[in-house]
Amino acid sequence: MSAPRPLGFVATVVESARQTALRLRHHRVWTLVLLGAAVLYGIAWLVGYQVGRRTEADGVSAYCNLAWWLQATVVTPWLTLYLGVQALHGGLEDRTFQYLFLRPVSRVALLLGNWLAVGAVSAVVGAVGSCVLFAGMADNRDLWPDGPDWRYAGDFAAACAVAAFAYAAAAMAFSAYFRRPLVWAAFFVVGLQQVVANLPISAGLRSATITDPLRRFVLDRIEPNQRLARELWPAELNFDPETIGAPLQDLAWFVLVTLALGALVYARTEYDARARD
Amino acid sequence: MSAEAPKQAAAALRFQRVTKWYGTIVALLDVSFDVGCEVVGLVGKNGVGKSTLMKLAAGLLQPSQGSVHIGPHAAGTAAARADLGFCPDVERLYENLTAVDFVAWMLRYHGFGRRAARDRAAATLQRLGLGDNMHRRIREYSKGMRQRVRLAQALAHEPRFVLLDEPMTGLDPVARAELSQTIRSLPAQGVGVLVSSHVLHELEAVVDRVVLVHQGRLLAQGRVGELRAQLPSQPHRLRIVGPRLRELAAVLVGWPQVAQVRVHDDAIEVSVAGEAGFYEALTRLGAGWDGGMHEVVPLDDDLASLFGYLVG
Repeated sequence: MSAPRPLGFVATVVESARQTALRLRHHRVWTLVLLGAAVLYGIAWLVGYQVGRRTEADGVSAYCNLAWWLQATVVTPWLTLYLGVQALHGGLEDRTFQYLFLRPVSRVALLLGNWLAVGAVSAVVGAVGSCVLFAGMADNRDLWPDGPDWRYAGDFAAACAVAAFAYAAAAMAFSAYFRRPLVWAAFFVVGLQQVVANLPISAGLRSATITDPLRRFVLDRIEPNQRLARELWPAELNFDPETIGAPLQDLAWFVLVTLALGALVYARTEYDARARD
Repeated sequence: MSAEAPKQAAAALRFQRVTKWYGTIVALLDVSFDVGCEVVGLVGKNGVGKSTLMKLAAGLLQPSQGSVHIGPHAAGTAAARADLGFCPDVERLYENLTAVDFVAWMLRYHGFGRRAARDRAAATLQRLGLGDNMHRRIREYSKGMRQRVRLAQALAHEPRFVLLDEPMTGLDPVARAELSQTIRSLPAQGVGVLVSSHVLHELEAVVDRVVLVHQGRLLAQGRVGELRAQLPSQPHRLRIVGPRLRELAAVLVGWPQVAQVRVHDDAIEVSVAGEAGFYEALTRLGAGWDGGMHEVVPLDDDLASLFGYLVG
């Protein structure tokens, strides 16, 4: 029996995504997610309890600060970058990529499948984490005189989901380019993004980050007062909703450019010769 | 030196003047050879470019100069990869997957539907002796079992050409014999094979021809016997067992073709510098020798000796 026609581009992306998701499952992701959810709940409840003892207790402000500074800028980025590097760079380092590169399918499709799977898994985890944080905070009833408003949990869940696909794209590019992608990811997250956060709002370099458009995305959804806006965006003393622009479009461009650069390298590099170079 | 390669009806693998640099290091220099529907052994010391040749054929590396083709397709193209099976010399596999899941996954990319891929993966693993263990995770496998998984992913899609990089590694003698049989059966199914191995005597039993590589160059190619015959500067060595060995040695040492005779307790070892007329004369001598000659065995007519003579 002769072999059928090799998978097409889209089918390869889907199959690669399916296989990547299955393999990620073996990294004890779901155990870690359950453990992480318990920890997040505990942190949120504790922070809520401490905030509730103050006179100007405000559940919305407490939750938004915690969800932004912990979930959106620490947990989601690092979880996504870690999973992304595991998915793509792990195979390059242990040379199992050879089994994939021998197949009659596009390497770009393989990379896109990895991105899709990592983005989707992290999006779910990030969104669930945002809701768990809210649940922990909502259990402090003193903070919510009118009852907890779950709309905020939805806003941050959406933000984390969007962030997951952007960080997954960054992970793909770092993994395709560098031998130590997590080190470069640290430069990006801790270095570049923190520096850029303090640049004037007009700085074009802001578009080269994920945090900046993501922050504008969050501010656009939660419609904060000036105090909360300053807490979430310390560099911008007088927040003006007019400055929000088109954050989703900026993130889409970031993903597109990053994936294109990653795909270009992934499709052309002789990874097996790297040790000899 | 280079023996004339036998003419192939249609070369399944063709290296044409291939040179490969890694930065300033020349890994291969102007290498040309064809492999048809046959088993060809790739022989050379470590680091001489065997794996580079394999990876060039697999399309994992690109030649700096020259070209590599699998059938009519340039190596590395999707069409070439569809026709190719490669068993790489890579220790790691997808450790958390079962063998059947792994092979089925690879088959999916060749266009097999999920059920067809799984059935075919199971059948291939069964054929390679992993039938009872195919549902265990690969991380629990022994070295020999892992090697069979690597083979399974190379053969499952029934490629037209197979590259086997050190396929005997880690296999026990029974498994080696089975693998040798499998490799030998491939040309009959229309499959060309290029196989590298350090176990020269086992390789010799499997291959139709050999390609010897040394320091990035093609040193020789052809059948072992033909290549050996083209080394007149290296005397052939024979081991003769029979009665009255010292007397026999005294006779042989007087023959012009004999360079040296060594007498051992139970045999004599004869170095033959020129073969012209030697074997006919030896046959006549043996026929008239009182008690006869019990055994006449060539000592250096094998791949290992040839390899030793050529690369030192």
